[in-house]
Amino acid sequence: MNAPQQGFKERADAELKNAVLKIAIDRTTGNAERKRAVAVAAFPEFQAARARGRAIKDHVIAHLDHYLEMFERNATAAGATVHWASDDAEARAIITRICLEADAKLVTRAKSMLGEEIGLPHALADAGIERVETDLAEHIIQLAGERPSHIVWPAMHRTREQVAILFKEAHHPPPAADDPATMVQSARRELRARFLGADIGISGANFLVADTGATCTVTNEGNAELTTTPPRIHIVTAGIEKLVPSTAHAFALLRLLVRSATGGEMTQYTTLHCGPKRPGDADGPEEMHIVLVDNGRTRMLADEFRPMLRCIRCGACMNHCVVYRQIGGHAYGGTYPGPMGAVLTPVLDGLAQSRDLPHACTMNGRCAEVCPVEIPLPTLLRAWRTRSWRERLEPRSVRAALGLWAMAARRPGLYRLGSRIGVRALRLFGRRGWIASLPLAGGWTAYRDLPRPLGRTFMEQYRAEQARKEGRR
Amino acid sequence: MTARDRILAAIRAARPAPLPPAEAIAAEAAALLDAPESVRPRPVEAVLAAEFVRKASALGTSFDHLPDRAAIPLAVNRYLDTHGLPPALALQPAPALAALDWTGIDTHDAVAPDQTAALGLALWGIAETGSLVIHSGADAPILLSFLPLHHIVVLEERSLLPHLEDYAARMAGQPQPRNAILITGPSGTTDIEGSYVRGAHGPGFLHVLMIGG
Ligand code: SF4
Repeated sequence: MNAPQQGFKERADAELKNAVLKIAIDRTTGNAERKRAVAVAAFPEFQAARARGRAIKDHVIAHLDHYLEMFERNATAAGATVHWASDDAEARAIITRICLEADAKLVTRAKSMLGEEIGLPHALADAGIERVETDLAEHIIQLAGERPSHIVWPAMHRTREQVAILFKEAHHPPPAADDPATMVQSARRELRARFLGADIGISGANFLVADTGATCTVTNEGNAELTTTPPRIHIVTAGIEKLVPSTAHAFALLRLLVRSATGGEMTQYTTLHCGPKRPGDADGPEEMHIVLVDNGRTRMLADEFRPMLRCIRCGACMNHCVVYRQIGGHAYGGTYPGPMGAVLTPVLDGLAQSRDLPHACTMNGRCAEVCPVEIPLPTLLRAWRTRSWRERLEPRSVRAALGLWAMAARRPGLYRLGSRIGVRALRLFGRRGWIASLPLAGGWTAYRDLPRPLGRTFMEQYRAEQARKEGRR
Repeated sequence: MTARDRILAAIRAARPAPLPPAEAIAAEAAALLDAPESVRPRPVEAVLAAEFVRKASALGTSFDHLPDRAAIPLAVNRYLDTHGLPPALALQPAPALAALDWTGIDTHDAVAPDQTAALGLALWGIAETGSLVIHSGADAPILLSFLPLHHIVVLEERSLLPHLEDYAARMAGQPQPRNAILITGPSGTTDIEGSYVRGAHGPGFLHVLMIGG
């Protein structure tokens, strides 16, 4: 699904030249990084809570069938209909069928990354159903005809001025000014009628609570409740890894999720949706459908990517990623960007399509340090690299170069000779300690400089130093 | 084979040992909630109400402290007046509110799409996060808490709970409402350049009338 057309390298190159994008990314991720640090510092129990959060997710993953069946039982008892989908195509078919059978003309949607993952926006369009995104950021990118560039702030690549242009064209009346407050008011006015006129509301779920059958959404805008209450039908799409044993377990994870995502302590609206409207209820939908989606998750359960199922989609790994902060989310080409996306996209789109992603990582380990459920992201990225090598997906030049290196590495004399020639040759390209361009390495030097080597290899210097010490003794 | 069978079979195939008995799984899950004080924030204030006010105010919630429910209409009038709003109010259709003397305020129990102000009851308050808990029901429309620009909520001080787990414990084994919502401050967004704007889709103002001690 959503396999990128252009290669990662081309997209990343284009984004690196985009100065406006760089400013937009820096504003949001910089803010998120600072606020998270403050929130974590204010919560001395954070590390203990993190270990607990990880243990909760591991417990669920180890007993996933048990909890799925428990959830299904309780959600059904509450009056919801539970559907199962092995992959994105099955999920799309289930949702379109519900929409068509209900003769739905207008569908409102509250932001859900799983909806993006299964290609729901396109499926609804193909079925001739009008879709209105209600999360402010999703509203912006729907108007722009784009995909999310971040899992928490999907429109973070757009500046205020760019948003104003979109709103002026789409809103009636257009916003009077282009400051954020005026534009938010304009979206509130514009979307109000759509909320109340929708036939179906679709939401995602941050947690599926097994012992009650409730689905839990967290938002700051209040759009999820306005999406799920007025229409006749509420559909939830959720990955099967979203289960938690009980509401209390969901709260334990929520403490980690909010602090890691926005640096807040609690989302403004934390809602448990349990079944459709009860007899006599003042409002609410008559039907509730829950679509449980596998789409590669049971495959991860069986291989080395199993820890990735712990992910609670907080976005901290991308906010702290040097690569993400240079190129933004779109360059990754999949539904999920950043370090977590580089692990997940090969699962979803296939490694052959996305082998560049696990390579676009500096292995500095920041992502794993901030991940609230201790996912060893660099280790998982390395696992993809290994697989890519084993499955012979590396381009011929890389294989050849590494082959040559391996041959020399096994012959110390040859290796030392090679590196002696290398460091001396490299000095020819640099002035004042930095190399700004290098033949065959333009891809490296276009956006960074290479330090000019000292003119001698480590082994040469080491020997000289040893000889000097010997002489002194 | 249905998708359900395929998914459950794949999960079972990935597990080296057979699934332990349900009681053993439940015991393990319960142990993951042990010693909650070691994994949650500690309150700063000794008094629950003070901690609740501290947390909720930090998020932009405003407060009025009242001796009893009879004081509610006057306090609402004061609030509407201070904000230059017309004396009109969508009232949650709950007997406790309908029983009050609303002379001078035009009350109605339907919430308009562009409602300026609405008044509802919170079932609990959670001090740890400054959250108000509301449940859907026959006399509790959910839209009442989302359509208005000004959301005024009555909270009894004696229904304050210290932590999120205390609310979960209250609800464990109870019949669940369609919607249980923890409202924590007014609606807001940081979706445009990360600048914080209040009143995104839900209320831009959240005002709590705290009753009694
Ligand atoms: S991998 Fe960790 S840090 Fe990244 S989104 Fe998932 S939970 Fe958050």
